[in-house]
Amino acid sequence: MFLSELLASSLRMAVPILLTALGAVFTERAGVVNIGLEGMMIVGSFWGALGSYYYGPYFGLLLAMAAGMFLALIHAVNTVTFRVDQIVSGVAINILAYGSCRFLSQAIFKMATTSPHVAGLPKIDIPVLAGIEFLKPLVSGVSPIIILALLLVPLTRFVINRTVFGLRLRSVGENPLAADTLGINVFRMKYAGVLLSGMLAGLSGAYLALEHTGMYVEGMTQGQGFIALAAMIFGNWEPAGALWAALLFGFSEALSFRVVEGGAIPYQFIKMIPYVLTLAVLAGVVRKSTPPAADGIPYERGMK
Amino acid sequence: MKRKYLITVMRILAPVLAIVLSAFISSIVILAIGKSPWQVFYTIFRFSLSRLDSVAIILYNATPLIFSGLAVSLGFRMGLFNIGVEGQYLIGAFFAALAGFTLKGLPAVIHLPLVILCGALGGMLWSFIPIYLKVKRGVHEVISTIMLNYISYSLIHYLIADVFMDRTQKLLDGLGSMLARTPKLPPSALMPKLHGLLGLFGIELPRHVYLNWFFPLGLLMAGLTYYLLMYTPFGFELRAVGQNQEAARTAGIKPERVYMVGFLLSGAVAGLVGLSDLLSYFGYMDLDFPRNYGFDGIAVALIGQNNPFGIIVSAMLFGFLKRGAEGIQTLLNVPMDTIVILQAVMIMSIVVITKVMNDYIKRLEKKEDVRVCSSQNSSLQV
Repeated sequence: MFLSELLASSLRMAVPILLTALGAVFTERAGVVNIGLEGMMIVGSFWGALGSYYYGPYFGLLLAMAAGMFLALIHAVNTVTFRVDQIVSGVAINILAYGSCRFLSQAIFKMATTSPHVAGLPKIDIPVLAGIEFLKPLVSGVSPIIILALLLVPLTRFVINRTVFGLRLRSVGENPLAADTLGINVFRMKYAGVLLSGMLAGLSGAYLALEHTGMYVEGMTQGQGFIALAAMIFGNWEPAGALWAALLFGFSEALSFRVVEGGAIPYQFIKMIPYVLTLAVLAGVVRKSTPPAADGIPYERGMK
Repeated sequence: MKRKYLITVMRILAPVLAIVLSAFISSIVILAIGKSPWQVFYTIFRFSLSRLDSVAIILYNATPLIFSGLAVSLGFRMGLFNIGVEGQYLIGAFFAALAGFTLKGLPAVIHLPLVILCGALGGMLWSFIPIYLKVKRGVHEVISTIMLNYISYSLIHYLIADVFMDRTQKLLDGLGSMLARTPKLPPSALMPKLHGLLGLFGIELPRHVYLNWFFPLGLLMAGLTYYLLMYTPFGFELRAVGQNQEAARTAGIKPERVYMVGFLLSGAVAGLVGLSDLLSYFGYMDLDFPRNYGFDGIAVALIGQNNPFGIIVSAMLFGFLKRGAEGIQTLLNVPMDTIVILQAVMIMSIVVITKVMNDYIKRLEKKEDVRVCSSQNSSLQV
């Protein structure tokens, strides 16, 4: 029972990381580094709560994705159209998200840091499996977004590896000049990658507010946008890799809550696991990772 | 000649335009919640500048931002992005606090410099990890410093709440619970306020103002940074690597060495960011120790165009806005986070405006080149 509860809790922790990491796969495979994902999760959590508060959870989800995409659009205009430094733009996006959500929360809910309780989506019991006692924590009362996130992994993999859109997206991230020569609209593909990442990060934020906590709380993303970037790197820029990394990081999150009483290892050290592992992967200690060849480099026509 | 003139104009014009543009966009935000932008801006100015103690608070607010902006700009100057100032200053502040409360009985003339040195050392140590990983293993410094920021949050939490927590705190009437904080630093480790000096000029500041000697130290640090960048061989190498790494290598400069030394310097300056708060306002380090100075430093460096003196001006601008934000929240009931939005828009507009201007200059140059070439051709034909 303890084990299956721990696994269930790991899965719940992994979902926001996974959704954002899948978004990160889209934007980075298109060659745009997006450290604004954290901010896009923040606006997702706020607008998700706001939408759900007034018009119910489904509207909340839509609003959250739209808000994430709006910030992503700003990032795309900055980095693809104006070709400014992608990191600087991402930092500004994060500050904008933090400031605007506090501002709006103060203006609408009259509190800078929390919203009232909001409704989530109806929970699902998975038929047949829910009857088995051992699996109960894992398969009963499951949020539909968890199922959606898991389904998105093969879907993202299919889109990126098996469709024309995916091929073009990857070509733009590996060699934009060659892609441009072949008549692919480099700028449009990069916009698509960034916007998709904003949509998924917004959804992930909405999951936190609607499904995980039942309200918006300032700082509820806790840097999970950055953990998601780490998960994507750890997963070697692949959707399936991102899934395993997200599960690993979710597991360490879930574990950190449970060892507070045990006390053998301070829980702060368990919280460090995702970051330390990512450093280790990047340094090539655990295994080699290879980013897309033109990742982070703005594309300009007429440049070699 | 024309180009040099244009660049100077651009360097001054770009931040001004960015400030105007972001003020415009914030006005829309203010209008959206049904308040008057004019009244908000008027209040910001009146509240911040009408009283002497308020001006002193602005300078106090600007102090950490000067150090933070300088630390970030040192990275930018050599083409590296030090997002890790955030973690570096927390570790630096902790090292300083540690040296403060463990060493006892030292006279202030030894203790205080030692504490400051430990702050710089802590920041340097934390900046060594990402730059080592970059130079030796090719790890991009942006990702590694973001990871290290989060590691430092947890590490500091552990050190303050578990290892070095002050368990001898006296509780008022035995009520409440103990704060997760380090022991208090003895007076010999604390930075004196500027009240004494200003008193000589007949300026009397109230006690609730914490403006201290770190402010002049920050100005001095900006001057030193300028000297280092412009008048020393290492500064020349640093700028050369920042402008074109491969060209610098061809010229016999080792970029790896410059990265290593430059980043450690950036980390050392970052280690000083939190000390103005630690050694004057707090006197101990707790879990509420101010955050985000590292990220603010990025905005300060960009608005200051990575020029040490520009950074002083932009740090004061942000100190002024922070003070004004308190004013509009208390007097007009406009959320103080208006200023955070303003800051974000400012960062975006400064980089976009600089980029557009740069492209414009490049195009002008190309035209000029073509004209020069064609006139040479024609003269050859004659």
